[in-house]
Amino acid sequence: MQSQATDAELRAAMQLRQAQECGQPCAPVRTLLADNDLDSAYRVQQLNTEYWQQQGRRLVGRKIGLTSKEVQTQLGVNQPDFGALFADMAIAEGDEIPFSAVLQPKIEAEVALVLEQDLDMQQPTLADILRATAFALPALEIVGSRVENWDIRIVDTVADNASSGLYVLGGKPTPLSQIDLKLCGMSLSCRGEPVSTGAGVACLGHPLSAALWLAKTMAQLGQPLRAGDTILTGALGPMVTVQPGDVFDCEISGLGSVRASFSAK
Amino acid sequence: MDSKRHQTLQMADILDKAMLNSQATPQLSLDYPEIGLKQAYQVQAAGIEKRMNRSEKLLGIKMGFTSRAKMLQMGVDDLIWGRLTSTMQLVEGDRVSMQRFIHPRIEPEIAFRLNKTLKGKVSLLEAMDAVEAIAPALEIIDSRYANFKFSLADVVADNSSSSGFVLGQWCSPKQDISNQAMVMEINGKPVQIGSSSAILGNPWRSLVEAARLAAESDICLEAGWIVLAGAATAAHPLCTGDHVCLHTSSMGQVHLHAGE
Repeated sequence: MQSQATDAELRAAMQLRQAQECGQPCAPVRTLLADNDLDSAYRVQQLNTEYWQQQGRRLVGRKIGLTSKEVQTQLGVNQPDFGALFADMAIAEGDEIPFSAVLQPKIEAEVALVLEQDLDMQQPTLADILRATAFALPALEIVGSRVENWDIRIVDTVADNASSGLYVLGGKPTPLSQIDLKLCGMSLSCRGEPVSTGAGVACLGHPLSAALWLAKTMAQLGQPLRAGDTILTGALGPMVTVQPGDVFDCEISGLGSVRASFSAK
Repeated sequence: MDSKRHQTLQMADILDKAMLNSQATPQLSLDYPEIGLKQAYQVQAAGIEKRMNRSEKLLGIKMGFTSRAKMLQMGVDDLIWGRLTSTMQLVEGDRVSMQRFIHPRIEPEIAFRLNKTLKGKVSLLEAMDAVEAIAPALEIIDSRYANFKFSLADVVADNSSSSGFVLGQWCSPKQDISNQAMVMEINGKPVQIGSSSAILGNPWRSLVEAARLAAESDICLEAGWIVLAGAATAAHPLCTGDHVCLHTSSMGQVHLHAGE
């Protein structure tokens, strides 16, 4: 990841950036990259993360993707992936989300963690995660793909910032001592109709296991998680396609609720 | 006896034999294409009567197709129900003999125990008031039909596939059961993960529906009965040697061992 980006990687990064800037999905980037070369895919992601930072976007944390066994099996991987979260991706609860803001939007319910200490040790453990976390929040993540028709393989989604889009955080923080993140129920409904249900276990067995994977990975990459960072730990149930005008309410037992509403056009 | 009644008893006999011999049978609707929902419930009642004549006791009812996903999957727009009898109740911790089943599947549920009668159209508050205890539960469904394939009338006649159930510890109904984690593990690995909210948005609604549907067959839910609210996730195949455990957020756990 530290090594120099190739021309193909630069092209892949440019292709994904243009798709985002023009609001027009692009062809998969896997044709430009070596099969299953995750290091190469992460270099593409990093090129764009640095580009956006130079454009003045503020990096506020990371999201974890591919945290369910089924999704990992679908994509033929046995580990999660991560993407960058920028401040302008955080939507205030109550604000209507323009339907066109995310390309090919889907939504999923997650546990968000906010850190109060750096996680810069090389070999973090669960104890370090527990100590470093200020609180947990319920979250809705609106994922999207810059790749046309979600025609993604693992290198496409990694290069495409883990298919991130926007996210909404619930406003009531809960300390980790007051919630069982493993056996919390998750109910996501659209206008009162349950559309996705699940539990904490669905996220790599425990959302904190996902956070631990991220902390280790980022420390190894020399970009450790920092105090103040937001972590979206991964979906607690199947993701759902968003239609114009949809209003989603997510309830995570013990954590409270959060809503995301979309414009009709 | 009129011919329709005769036919009903014939169908009940076919299903009863399939159950007793643990041998799948062709769908009834293939040989009796005119079977409708009403007659299907009569077949179910006749089958249960046979079992009562063999000294089984009626313990309550189970609800089926309580999740929107399952209704869409089956192309139906109403719930179904079946009856729970004493031979279907398995003891938690016991090894369940698999020989009595054909192709069993298991699903995570919530059980209600009534201490008041519920009849016909009742409000949510009346339904809640009639429950003295709740428990996590596992239900074994085992269609008597070949390949687990059936029409709506077929499955209703077949006691809604119900074949066995095991209850965890009874606990207080004065807790929020609208969004309990329902994590079903087999041999320590989660195989189905969901929330109780998949049961009609809130499992209490299933009890209201149970009273309404039972009344259509002139039955009221009796004090002392158990009502299984319906599955919170898809069913999962149950195999010999499996240890199944359902974990919930605050209602505790329930276990089952599948023996020889």
